[in-house]
Amino acid sequence: MSLAPQYDSLARQHATARLGMWVFLGSEVLLFAGLFALYAAYRFTYPAEFHAAAGHANLAIGTINTYVLLTSSLTMALAIHATRNGQRRRTVAFLLATIALGLAFDALKAVEYAEHLAEGLAPGRAYAFAALPAHGVALYVTLYYLMTGLHALHVTGGVVLLAWLAWRAQRGDFTPESHLTLELGGLYWHLVDLVWIFLWPLLYLIG
Amino acid sequence: MPSTRSYLIVWAELVALATITLFASRALGGGWGLIVAAAIAVAKAALVVTRFMHLTRERPALRLVFAIAVGFVAILVLGVLADVGARDAASAYVDELGRP
Repeated sequence: MSLAPQYDSLARQHATARLGMWVFLGSEVLLFAGLFALYAAYRFTYPAEFHAAAGHANLAIGTINTYVLLTSSLTMALAIHATRNGQRRRTVAFLLATIALGLAFDALKAVEYAEHLAEGLAPGRAYAFAALPAHGVALYVTLYYLMTGLHALHVTGGVVLLAWLAWRAQRGDFTPESHLTLELGGLYWHLVDLVWIFLWPLLYLIG
Repeated sequence: MPSTRSYLIVWAELVALATITLFASRALGGGWGLIVAAAIAVAKAALVVTRFMHLTRERPALRLVFAIAVGFVAILVLGVLADVGARDAASAYVDELGRP
């Protein structure tokens, strides 16, 4: 990254960019916080209904996806580590592994959605699940789609970002001294993992 | 600078905590299961933020930004819970239309 005219040094420019990134991450946290607050209110009001509804969540897929995302955070960290050591091919390989894990997450999520929709576990007024009355349960189901849907959009956006980073890494844009873009992309990917760390127990483990 | 080994150790810790969460929530269930699962989630999040995102090595101004965002989440969620938790007490003083 070249030095912009308003900065004395590249170090200062990078420090500013990192601050900007953490402010962005803070705003992302607050975006999800709105949904977590809604969840808290309805979970408190309808504990039995949420428990019954979560019993129909696909615990196996949810749990596998938890391990998938935790592992993708590791491969992301190792990609940056490889860049610091000047290992270009290793960087690209770890970025591709992270992309593969992100895509695997999305694919499993799609299987899950298809399964639920076929059963009538649909959000809002589309709710048509025969085994449970909609009262309270429909709130869990709607929040499930809102929270996991918003998160899946973040995963998908992250995959696109990682593909761009892998292309740039392949081109040799990142050096051990200067790889800020890669670092910021890594921070974003870890945040996506962070959100899922909370979604998993709240949506899958209360059943 | 952390080593490959240290990253692998963090990953193993995260996987272990996730597995503990799974079994604890199955064994406890209900409200306590959720509280234990949420507490472990906070520990996992702390691991990711400090060991993968290296927030602890950043400047104080930067740590403050993220800490404030997390603090706001706590205020928001606890405020909402205090509200819904106090509904029964409030309904003793007001009727369905909110009149005293």
